[in-house]
Amino acid sequence: MLQTPADKIIDGRGLEPPEPFVLTMDALGVMEPSQKLLLILTREPFPLYRALQNQGYSYQTEVTMQGTFEILIWRKQF
Amino acid sequence: MQALLSFDQSPPISAPLRFFLTAPLFAMAAGGLLLWSGPDLFASRWTPAALALTHLVTVGFMLQVMLGAMQQLLPVMAGANIRRPLLIATVVHAAITLGGILLVAAFLTLQPWLFGGAVFLLAVGVMTFVAAAAYALYGVPTTSPIIRGLRLGLIGLGVTVSIGLLNAVSLGWGLGVPLAKLANVHLGWGFVAWGCAMLGAVGFVAVPMFQQTPSYPSWFGRGFAVSTLVVVALWTGAELAGWERSASLLSIGVVLVAATFALTTLNLQRMSKRPKLDAVQLLWRVAMVSALLACGLWLLARVSPTLAQWQGWPLLFGTLLLFGGFMSVIVGMLYKIVPFLVWLHLQNLGRGRLMAPNIKKVLDEKQIDRQMHAHFCAFGLLLLSVAWPQWFVYPAGLALIVANAWLLRNLLSAVAVYRSHLAKIEALDASPAAT
Repeated sequence: MLQTPADKIIDGRGLEPPEPFVLTMDALGVMEPSQKLLLILTREPFPLYRALQNQGYSYQTEVTMQGTFEILIWRKQF
Repeated sequence: MQALLSFDQSPPISAPLRFFLTAPLFAMAAGGLLLWSGPDLFASRWTPAALALTHLVTVGFMLQVMLGAMQQLLPVMAGANIRRPLLIATVVHAAITLGGILLVAAFLTLQPWLFGGAVFLLAVGVMTFVAAAAYALYGVPTTSPIIRGLRLGLIGLGVTVSIGLLNAVSLGWGLGVPLAKLANVHLGWGFVAWGCAMLGAVGFVAVPMFQQTPSYPSWFGRGFAVSTLVVVALWTGAELAGWERSASLLSIGVVLVAATFALTTLNLQRMSKRPKLDAVQLLWRVAMVSALLACGLWLLARVSPTLAQWQGWPLLFGTLLLFGGFMSVIVGMLYKIVPFLVWLHLQNLGRGRLMAPNIKKVLDEKQIDRQMHAHFCAFGLLLLSVAWPQWFVYPAGLALIVANAWLLRNLLSAVAVYRSHLAKIEALDASPAAT
């Protein structure tokens, strides 16, 4: 588990695409710039990475021992 | 907030769609071939019509969909982008479509020039794709089993097609290579080292994701794709070296590896959180049960001389594996991939001004269910045709045409949703407010 605390967690395991993607982008849209979001998935979300980069977000991915992907997302500070 | 995906991560929609829309046409041609050739097709696996039918399904249906799907899966599941995707799709699709048609014509007429044309076009098509996909995957870290599976599956595909081409050249020009032995090796590579490895890689992500099952066990992710390639390679070596005892034992290993995938998947499906099976789950279940039955039949034929002497058992094996196994699972995957593609592209094209339609509304579930039943009906009639061809071959041919015309109709309805939504986006672009 990522050590950095997240303000919101989306557990996308068990959700069909594109639901985790849509939930993540919707949540980011209403979060404060300083807040962080943690997305948990069973696969690596390559299309999401690109969308995050395009829209000014940073992310950090960790793979747990169980093979779960944990992606911490926050807005880039300029 | 309207989510935007990047276009450079996804090839243009026409790149994979052309493969998906062509595949049902080949399966319909397979139905037509059954009607044209009649019961004689089922006399043996070696009849020209049986060989043509097999390749209408493997090259015309399976190869088309798998290459189209890989164009989409590589960027989405592995972060690997094929460069110049539209050009690659155009060359590969044209080459394997024409190559597939020529190959079928070659089996039916045994004309050397047709084998030559088919060999050339299929080599160009498949090797272009393998090279483009290998280049895209080069340098991509193996962070998940799907990436390893796709890489090894590409090797399996390359070897399958190379052996197939050698066989076709030999058939056309009588090179004197051991055709029956090479045909079995071609089958082993095609069904297990390519088909199973690729399906295992995709299933590793797709089954838990779409069917709400637990994940595949970690040993499966680590070892399945590698095991398929190693055991098939060892068996091929023993078979070609003439080490009969080793080849016999290793061939059992090949079948057991394939059975492991089917059993593991069925076990996961048993633990699905879904209260009711949907069409995609049913198609996967029938596919896995068919694959297991095919494996069981193959093992039984090794120990039962009575079964081994029956000319029909290889045909029954092929019907279980091709129509019950691969075709079922591919139809199921198409019903997930195509709506996602439509949603993905409309989401991008809408640029936040027009929401993409709900993904569940892209394809009508009732039509999916009806097509699935038509497919199961065709599969059942094909099984009966093996035992009683004089009674069932014509209904089976007709049912195969109906099931695949229905599949084409369903896929075209998704394209219609895409076009009508695209027209709305274009109208929005042209409106005074947009300028």
